Amino acid sequence: MDLNQVKTEINNCQSGTDLENIRIKYLGRTGLINQEFSKIKSASDPKQFGQQLNQLKTDVENLIFEKSKTVSSEIKNLKLEIKNSNFCLPKIGHLHPLSITERQLNEVFRKLGFSVYNSPEIVTDEYNFQRLNVPKDHPARDMQDTIYIQQPEYLLRTQTSTIEAYLLKNHQPPIRAAFPGSVYRNEKVNRSNHFVFHQYQAVVVDKNITMKDLIGTMDLMFKTLYGPEVVVRYRCKYYPEVEPGVGPDMQCFNCHGKGCPLCKYAGWIEMGGAGMIHPKVLEMANIDPRVYSGFAFGMGLDRWTMAEKYITDIRTLMGGNLAYKPNKL
Amino acid sequence: MKLIYSHLKTFLPDLNVKPQKLRDDLTMIGHFCNFYQEIENEIVFDLDIKVNRGDCLGYYGLAKDLSILYNLPLVPATELKYSTSNYSLPIKIETDNVFRIMALKIVHLKNKHSPDWLSKFLKLHGVNSINTLVDLTNYIMFMYGLPSHAFDTAKSGDNLIWQMNPKYTEFKGLDGTILPVDKNILMVNNSNIALGLSFWGGEFCAIDNSTTNIIIEIAVYNPTTVRQNHQQLKVATEAATRLEKLLDPKLIPQAINHLARLITLNCGGEIGSQVFDYYPNPETPSPINFDPKLPSIISGINIPVDFAKEIVSKIGFRKDISLPEDLAEEVIRFYGYDKIPTNQPVSPVKLPDITPPILYLVEKLKDDLVAQGYDEVISWPLVQQPTDPTTVVKTENSINSGYPYLRQSMIQSLQNQLDQYFRYKLPNPKFFEIGKIFSQVDGKYIEKYALGTYDGQKFTETILDDLPKPESYLPKNIDNSAYELTSQIITLDANVNLDSPQDPTTLINHYTSLISPDILWSIEIIDIFENKYTFRVSYYNCDDKTAKKAHLTAFGLI
Repeated sequence: MDLNQVKTEINNCQSGTDLENIRIKYLGRTGLINQEFSKIKSASDPKQFGQQLNQLKTDVENLIFEKSKTVSSEIKNLKLEIKNSNFCLPKIGHLHPLSITERQLNEVFRKLGFSVYNSPEIVTDEYNFQRLNVPKDHPARDMQDTIYIQQPEYLLRTQTSTIEAYLLKNHQPPIRAAFPGSVYRNEKVNRSNHFVFHQYQAVVVDKNITMKDLIGTMDLMFKTLYGPEVVVRYRCKYYPEVEPGVGPDMQCFNCHGKGCPLCKYAGWIEMGGAGMIHPKVLEMANIDPRVYSGFAFGMGLDRWTMAEKYITDIRTLMGGNLAYKPNKL
Repeated sequence: MKLIYSHLKTFLPDLNVKPQKLRDDLTMIGHFCNFYQEIENEIVFDLDIKVNRGDCLGYYGLAKDLSILYNLPLVPATELKYSTSNYSLPIKIETDNVFRIMALKIVHLKNKHSPDWLSKFLKLHGVNSINTLVDLTNYIMFMYGLPSHAFDTAKSGDNLIWQMNPKYTEFKGLDGTILPVDKNILMVNNSNIALGLSFWGGEFCAIDNSTTNIIIEIAVYNPTTVRQNHQQLKVATEAATRLEKLLDPKLIPQAINHLARLITLNCGGEIGSQVFDYYPNPETPSPINFDPKLPSIISGINIPVDFAKEIVSKIGFRKDISLPEDLAEEVIRFYGYDKIPTNQPVSPVKLPDITPPILYLVEKLKDDLVAQGYDEVISWPLVQQPTDPTTVVKTENSINSGYPYLRQSMIQSLQNQLDQYFRYKLPNPKFFEIGKIFSQVDGKYIEKYALGTYDGQKFTETILDDLPKPESYLPKNIDNSAYELTSQIITLDANVNLDSPQDPTTLINHYTSLISPDILWSIEIIDIFENKYTFRVSYYNCDDKTAKKAHLTAFGLI
């Protein structure tokens, strides 16, 4: 086979399709070069024969690569023309990754009859703690570091359950609502922690609501976010505002349950909290727990969004360095 | 909390499950176990004990849970063979913050280095070995979840008084730290020296190798007092972690019995007093009206009534259980959360929409801005500088002291975003954010949704809550550089039948030319079927009648 002949063929080629045909002709699985390789056993000096062929293969690859630059720039020019004509869509912007995740979830819950809800971010101790069955001086208050506006009464909400407290106070059952919301904790800002982050919570109060409804609905949410293959287990977990409490854990997507540094060798990743709304919480909202029951579940959105979009620093998510956007979204 | 498998068998001698299964089972019943590892020939579990289960900050509480789960016998409490000494300890309790104290004097001891098993046990729990007596009190704390303490009576005397701080201004802890104390601190003193706090021993009567006579005590206090005390003094000890939770005073006899037995076994000596037991108000658990069908009602699956009854009888009294729902959780967790199906979500129903209208506006605005080429950003609501110092809301205790203020304007946040765009040399910055802005007027906190945009040249801000009819606004570009919200969009559809297929762009151009640009907001083809085209046209800047008229005229429907 003559390299010059290949050169001429490549030089004469006009389009990306032609070039691809040449590539297949010479470098394809049953291409000419591979056919030559099959003769290696019968060659008088197999070593030299092999070396020459490898050299030829590299040369052809290089030639095609060089040519592809000019051919593809022709394609680029073509694209540019299209862009300048009337057919092209103008540049559109991007929703923030967190908004995309929120919308995905809102859509699922709206189909199930949920409204979307929100409430103030500066709240009183009553709504952030007491109405959620966390009295003053309860050790459960240590579970969250609170940013105060005016101690001890006014604070920035530490959880989306605070929205639940407003929801239950302002509406009578049947209630179905989902709420994305930003929440605040007194944490030092670094790669993985922030003083503001985002949670998603859903609440149902109605007659005959059970843990089966809770776990089924939560599973639907996880499948929406992570796909139908996701494995989630539901275990007993304590939160003061629910009884019984439920903790969903997702099987680690990195090690599939075997244990790895990502999941701290647990094989599972904690995904949030849930449970049947505590009878005291319903009572405080003037809802009779003997007639109605309900469930609530919440999860953090930031970590999930970061994992999905390959964002390794939470400050990027809320910092305006959106360099990842053009490639990833 | 750390849990060593071999020491768990102290209470559950028949326990014989593989570590991996134990880890998973503990997790499923509520004691999340991250991992276990083999250290120095011991299997050590790392558990996350939740605040409601103070009893499980000791091996005994966990063993009790596991004895129910695996149906294994729990080692019964052994009675202490107390001495015949008729010396009664002259201990005084002068505060009602003490729920129960048991104390005992042990004399003629010989203290020394701890045996290997003991120092290894403590090392695996992250505690340094001091000497046998001190280490045994710590051992009992880990085993029962009840902090215990020993006083060297050569230094403290026998006249111990539990009281709210009567006069002392400072207290010297075991490590020599001097803490300022006030009248709210629960203390153990003798008549003239401060000896200890509820959750921490003092240096003055610390046990050392020359100690021969001691008083050991185990107490349960008012958890709120302990919590307030250790928070006030900013001291966190293993004892404080336990004493601030609901502990069971009824477990004290077994624990002090075990402690006394281990001390006499390891250090010799003999019991030198009667058991001091102060327990003024023994709790009588209030009966819970429990329907054994309740676990089935709550879980949504059928849990046999007999199973529910059996679990409830095995659990007996526990401090964190006061409602039928608490008992139901116990039954369900031992029955198995994994038996609840995961594929039956709540069925869809139609309920009145209670979504606040402003949220629809926010959603709509985001869509329209994105369609106009704006990127959405989300930034920190806490900022470095106030815009208006008279109405700014300031945080009081944020550890991020560089960001003490809640933003008063979206533009503050957007300016930071723009700096980032420049820093990363991103071309053509054009972005928006919708979020809350905060202010305070006359002591009232006000928060409003605001939209801020940057179009490549300048910032604009619109406070969405202040719009008269939030649901009827949409964004509009004006002269390519600024941007405003416009009121009411009227959307109308039109079906057009043509003789042959046409180029959609030509059609759009054709009909666009027939409508006045002053009122045309958007035009699109939403459906094509054979030669039938459905157009959707939105009009703005006009009333319903004008829009309808323009629509009918353009599409030849008059």
